[in-house]
Amino acid sequence: MAVQTSVLEVARPGPGGVVNVPEPPPELERAPLVANNRSFGWLSNRVASLSEDAAPVWWWILFIPSVLALAMLFLMMSYQISTGVGVWGNMHPVMWAWDIVNFVWWIGIGHAGTLISAILFLLRQRWRTAVNRAAEAMTIFAVMCAGIYPLLHVGRAWYDWWLLPLPNSNSIWPQFRSPLMWDVFAVSTYFTVSVLFWYMGLIPDLAVLRDRAKSRVRQFLYGLFALGWTGSNRHWSNYEKAYLILAGLSTPLVLSVHSIVSLDFSVSQLPGWHTTIFPPYFVAGAVFSGFGMVLTLLIPLRSMFKLQDIITMRHIDVMCKVTLLTGSIVGYAYLMEFFIAWYSGNPNERFHFENRALGPYQWAWLFMVSCNVLIPQLFWFKRLRQNLVVVFIISILVNVGMWFERFVIIVVSLHRDFIPSNWGYYRPTWVDICTYIGTFGLFFTMFLLFIRFLPLIAVSEVKGVTPQADPHHPLGGAKEGVHHA
Amino acid sequence: MSAMGRIKDSMSITPQEQGRFKIGAGTASSPLPSGPGEQEAGTKPSPPLASRLLEPSLRQEDSGPVYWRGLDELAQTPQFREWVEREFPPGASEWADGTSRRDFLRLMSASLLLAGAGFAGGGCRRPVERVEPFGKMPEDYTHGVPQYYATAMPAHGSAVALVVKSNDGRPTKIEGNQLHPDSNGGTDRFAQASILDLYDPDRAARFAQGGNTRTPEAAFDFLEELGRKAGQNGGQGLAFLLERNNSPSRARLWKSLSDQWPQARWYVHDAVDLDIHRRAATLAFAKPVEPYWQLDKANVVVSLDCDFLGSEGDVHNHIRRFSQRRRLEKPQDTPIRLYLAESLMSVTGFNADHRLRLPGSAVVLLAAALAAELRKPGGSGVEALAKAAGVEVQWMAKWVAACAVDLAANRGHSLVMAGHRQPLEAHLLAHAMNAALGNVGQTVLFHSAPEAKAGGLPELAQALKAGEVETLVVLGGNPVYAAPADLDWAKTQRRAKTVVRLGYFEDETFPVCDWHLPAAHYLESWGDARTSDGTLVSIQPLIAPLFGGLTELEVLARIAGARVTDAYGIVRETFAGLCGTEAIEAAWRKFLHDGFLANSAAQPVEVSLNEAAVAEGLGRVKPPGALTKERLELTFHRDYRVDDGRYNNNGWLQELPDPVTKIVWDNVVLMSRKTALELGVKNSERVEIKLGEASVTGPVWVQPGMADYSVGLALGYGRRKTGRVGRNAGFDVYPLRTSAGPNIAIGGTVRAAGGTYAISCTQSHWSLEGRPIVREANLEHYRQHPDFAKELDAEGEELPVVAPFYPNPFDQLKQKGLHQWGMSIDLNRCVGCSACMLACQSENNVPIVGKDQVRRGREMHWLRIDRYYAGRPLGPKESPEAKKGFLETFRTEAEQQYEAWIDDPQAVTQPMLCQHCEAAPCENVCPVNATSHDQEGLNVMTYNRCVGTRYCSNNCPYKVRRFNFFDWNKRPIGKFYQGPFGHRAADEWDLLKMVKNPDVTVRMRGVMEKCTFCLQRIEQAKIAQKDKAGASGDVVVPSDSFTTACAQACPAEAIVFGNLNDPGSRVSKLKKMDRDYPVLKALLTKPRTTYLARVRNPNPAMPDYYSTPSSLEEIEQKMGGAH
Repeated sequence: MAVQTSVLEVARPGPGGVVNVPEPPPELERAPLVANNRSFGWLSNRVASLSEDAAPVWWWILFIPSVLALAMLFLMMSYQISTGVGVWGNMHPVMWAWDIVNFVWWIGIGHAGTLISAILFLLRQRWRTAVNRAAEAMTIFAVMCAGIYPLLHVGRAWYDWWLLPLPNSNSIWPQFRSPLMWDVFAVSTYFTVSVLFWYMGLIPDLAVLRDRAKSRVRQFLYGLFALGWTGSNRHWSNYEKAYLILAGLSTPLVLSVHSIVSLDFSVSQLPGWHTTIFPPYFVAGAVFSGFGMVLTLLIPLRSMFKLQDIITMRHIDVMCKVTLLTGSIVGYAYLMEFFIAWYSGNPNERFHFENRALGPYQWAWLFMVSCNVLIPQLFWFKRLRQNLVVVFIISILVNVGMWFERFVIIVVSLHRDFIPSNWGYYRPTWVDICTYIGTFGLFFTMFLLFIRFLPLIAVSEVKGVTPQADPHHPLGGAKEGVHHA
Repeated sequence: MSAMGRIKDSMSITPQEQGRFKIGAGTASSPLPSGPGEQEAGTKPSPPLASRLLEPSLRQEDSGPVYWRGLDELAQTPQFREWVEREFPPGASEWADGTSRRDFLRLMSASLLLAGAGFAGGGCRRPVERVEPFGKMPEDYTHGVPQYYATAMPAHGSAVALVVKSNDGRPTKIEGNQLHPDSNGGTDRFAQASILDLYDPDRAARFAQGGNTRTPEAAFDFLEELGRKAGQNGGQGLAFLLERNNSPSRARLWKSLSDQWPQARWYVHDAVDLDIHRRAATLAFAKPVEPYWQLDKANVVVSLDCDFLGSEGDVHNHIRRFSQRRRLEKPQDTPIRLYLAESLMSVTGFNADHRLRLPGSAVVLLAAALAAELRKPGGSGVEALAKAAGVEVQWMAKWVAACAVDLAANRGHSLVMAGHRQPLEAHLLAHAMNAALGNVGQTVLFHSAPEAKAGGLPELAQALKAGEVETLVVLGGNPVYAAPADLDWAKTQRRAKTVVRLGYFEDETFPVCDWHLPAAHYLESWGDARTSDGTLVSIQPLIAPLFGGLTELEVLARIAGARVTDAYGIVRETFAGLCGTEAIEAAWRKFLHDGFLANSAAQPVEVSLNEAAVAEGLGRVKPPGALTKERLELTFHRDYRVDDGRYNNNGWLQELPDPVTKIVWDNVVLMSRKTALELGVKNSERVEIKLGEASVTGPVWVQPGMADYSVGLALGYGRRKTGRVGRNAGFDVYPLRTSAGPNIAIGGTVRAAGGTYAISCTQSHWSLEGRPIVREANLEHYRQHPDFAKELDAEGEELPVVAPFYPNPFDQLKQKGLHQWGMSIDLNRCVGCSACMLACQSENNVPIVGKDQVRRGREMHWLRIDRYYAGRPLGPKESPEAKKGFLETFRTEAEQQYEAWIDDPQAVTQPMLCQHCEAAPCENVCPVNATSHDQEGLNVMTYNRCVGTRYCSNNCPYKVRRFNFFDWNKRPIGKFYQGPFGHRAADEWDLLKMVKNPDVTVRMRGVMEKCTFCLQRIEQAKIAQKDKAGASGDVVVPSDSFTTACAQACPAEAIVFGNLNDPGSRVSKLKKMDRDYPVLKALLTKPRTTYLARVRNPNPAMPDYYSTPSSLEEIEQKMGGAH
């Protein structure tokens, strides 16, 4: 930091010549969002090179199994659609199982991206710029994985379009009282707006790639999607307005999509589902798992792509804190569910929650509580937040825990409800497992293609948060940015 | 010949037969139609039958007012006619060109057809389905309107009077004959399921000699030759092996044959021997008689291991009578009280007020002690009994004394029954007690039952071994599978030079036969029988034999030398001798129409007890000796589903949950908790059961309420040679069953055989967990609190104090409905026999899914019988693996087997089906509106619209919705996972289609289904009423004029369905009763199905008396604390 301090001294002339501004104590000083005072050119080179250089070996090592898993997903889907839902383990009384567990889980993961890009944008959280592009891409791919399940899990997938309000000769309209209907709108709107938002943000960076492109194909394709971006003031002005509007549109969606998914459960009258705490609790859980997934993806990426200067330890630290916060909210919700079950005096409700903790699926509940509530508490310690191995492991456990949360809510609530003669015990089949693995194939195939062909970092925005981008900064305009070779 | 070809042939009925069918037809026509003109006008002598069976649609002129298009039409003016002709400008209707309009259309359609053919060749299209019209239209036939015929099903020496529905010449549904004097129209499980046997693709379908197919003519020639030879030597070396059957025609043929050929020998054998009732009564009263129980006249019944509601003969009639005495209209009514001692937990055990868990071999001790107590209070014999029951002497003395006091207090209104598994001595003691209590002639009648001059299987074995039998004719039965093991029947039967067999399947006995003739189903054959009250009933065919099968009568007649057999003629001739009237033709027609001969019931015989025989029998009673884990008692029992094995290939019965264990597709080794604990085995573990040298291996099932050291083994499974349904189901226990101990054998051992066996059970949780789902109280409590069932609403169910925020749209909609359908189920009358489940399956085309899928929780029954146990002590103890205290509720299902409360449980049964909630939770969660409400209160399912999100099932608190996880109909069991590659064999498919009810959709995979309250029956009734109403506008279906399949089949009349808008309907009255309650009222689903609480009637003087039933105690204990 020595360089900066010296610049400060020079650049703050007071009325009486050189004023000696006292240095802030180091613990108050914020780490810069881009470390090592990287120049704009370096940022452009660094990010663009990821898609311009030949694919690294590790990329192929990840990509090939992902594509194979994706192929398996298609096989599993064909098998299920041609043969019947029975190839899964779903049963009476557990009519929803891994299909909806995975749907809610993937949707939850798809939460961080829009939260980062929209809400943090509106809140002027400048650190978001380093991670928002990847997080948004993650959101889109996660929603794609999620969207497969509701389309696939129905008994007659070829009639999925009946859930759309299409005029027909029988005048049969969808049932607007059904939360599944709301889901159709919530998820499709969320997906559409997320894609638009993501694409919108990509335009200036696509133009950079277009300008740097050496082959005709790249020039054409990047040029096509860059929509004739020249970087003129008018372009920038329109862009900023549109970005703000889309951020404003996306913000309620972040809250609505998972709230509505949670209504699938809370609208019903099943003990364990029928509860008003679900909408906020699901949103908190979704953000929690979304940040978990962002960490899981970015920690290896930043080192493999040598992006430590852009995705700094400060970013990691902030995301760990968000995880800690949302994890604690989730833990509070768990406690509150138990409290209400006891306080309401409803014996079915009480039985259900006791059965979660003590019944045949106790193991799932223990997984859930320890991964979601207990383990994230380690993030209270800065040393652990700074330890990438620990953070990486916890981020994976968060996602495991959140998977079990959905499993506990869906399967454990269904397996023992009002009438004891209905009780049963659910087990998944190999098709359930392979379909789930297949969605990872889809997710990683998409994500790996994304990091290969699109700017992984929102370069134009990151440039905006470098110290030299600040017009008031002595180096404003980055004309004299320090170039490290 | 292909299967389809055979079916087509059999559907074409000869004109002669058609004539007979017409005689039998009895729906809308008068019983004795003499000509077509009389059809509608004929008075209906049988309103109950006629009203149950729906009217066909009427002719045009009856169907309402004629409308006109304008006043001119009414006036029929020429101008109007001109205008009709010339609606379009003049000339428009003519084609001016040389080519006529007709030619043009022809040309156009031909070219369209060509274009279409091009597409069709490569495109996707529906498979071609040919509808073949009648070559000759039968008289009185209206397409789509089912016809009903009275017939009967022979059953273990008795018969069940039936009315069978026929759609387009194929029988589709079986009902009881309500007109029959000894029937309320209810049936049993076997009758309901027997229709599936008719369409069994694995039936014996060919005449075979040494396993090779022969022409029927060759077989007939052989039979003729057989008869000629017998005629020459007086039947020397000829033996007949028959099953018990009370057909007068068979008896007549038998008699004439044995008169003709005195040297021929006759043997009768049944794997499950119900004849003991006759033998015992004959011995006890020194007269050839058999007992006829009149439970409806009894106040107190003591059953000595007599499962009269489950595995005895004539069960549906016992259930009817028993339930009649459990009807409770007001608190002052006193229901029948049942004392029962048994080793197995049985359906009767579910319904006992006092159940004594006693090894089967010790039941006779109870009989002796009770008899002694009746003779002289404080009598002896209790010590040995107490030891056998494993209780203290004091306790047992009190039990016997109080029971005896109760019996004595109800002289003439009590009944002691001994079960068919019990030895002769127990029966003699029961008869002696009934005689002493003055019950003879009151609650038990004796009908004359002359003994047939026939030997049993052991005698036949002896004769065979002695080489005295040259030709053995086996008519029915499957002796190679079911004969006592010591007879080694497969070898013994081979001693005969020639074995001829009439068999329904090519089963275990098939390879040991020289000639095998296919047997006809009772729905394919002419015959007669007597029901248990002695009434003569007719068996008339509804379809020509699908595979050219023969009946016993035909085989006997052919052996007797008839070249052309005419079972119809034989039966008619028998009838002529029995009907006792000159006007035979009229009587015969009425006999076929009604299905029975009026006033032909047997007259009770005056009897007096043969004291000497009883004393002698009493002298033979001796304690069976202590049972231990090294000396177990094995009870071989008739299975509730496959009987002695004869229904092994019946998918409906295989998939029917056993009424007690709720296990499907298997039999298990039943034992008590203590026995399992001592043997160190647990549920699903395979064990080897050894008796003497023989041993069999099967999986353990800890059954609540089993006597200690007693092991229950169901007959009829583990078939070595059976059809594709019964293959690999269960294990065979016949190798352990000898002529010495066919029912109860002592000295068996059980040891773990290693490994486990997957058991499919539809209800693995036993306890109600203190939830007021089934409500019951003791009679005393009910009298003090007639509203006890409603009071329990508040118990454990928090009732919302506010009305729902949004109005229910149905509240307005229902103002428009002419009818409001509802159902009431009386838990006090339901015994849990499960006949309703099969009736529903048959009526509503409910598919079977196989053992593996049931194990995955995917059975499809729209109606299920929930069975719960409750017992004291409520908390578990004694077993190391049982969870304690608070944790007990959270046990896994496997842990239940270790808990002490299951030793002496009380059981309750509850039919559970779609409750047709007025505020149905399933409806508002369906995103595509596939399930919705109609204005008559039905929660209806639109299969076509269903996409299968399954949300409705998740939100149904009763969990009565069923999902088609696979194409259950299109694919055979075992090939579900092959998807489009899993094809049913063509023969299977052809036959399977025939059993379907054409009025009910066959559902495809991916859609949800559930009980519809038999919507098709409702609609038929409404349409018929509309037709009848005509211009009068009286379209309200008359009270109780039809009912659902389950209610119709229920012999207990526990299920009542009807119109709630009609205050006079039975269901409306039942719903006004104080015992009426809805399940899960607090959810405000407002179900249309409500239940009447059960009232137990225990004797306060008994040592096992509790003032509250265990389930109520559990509710108070577990849910009371919630407030």
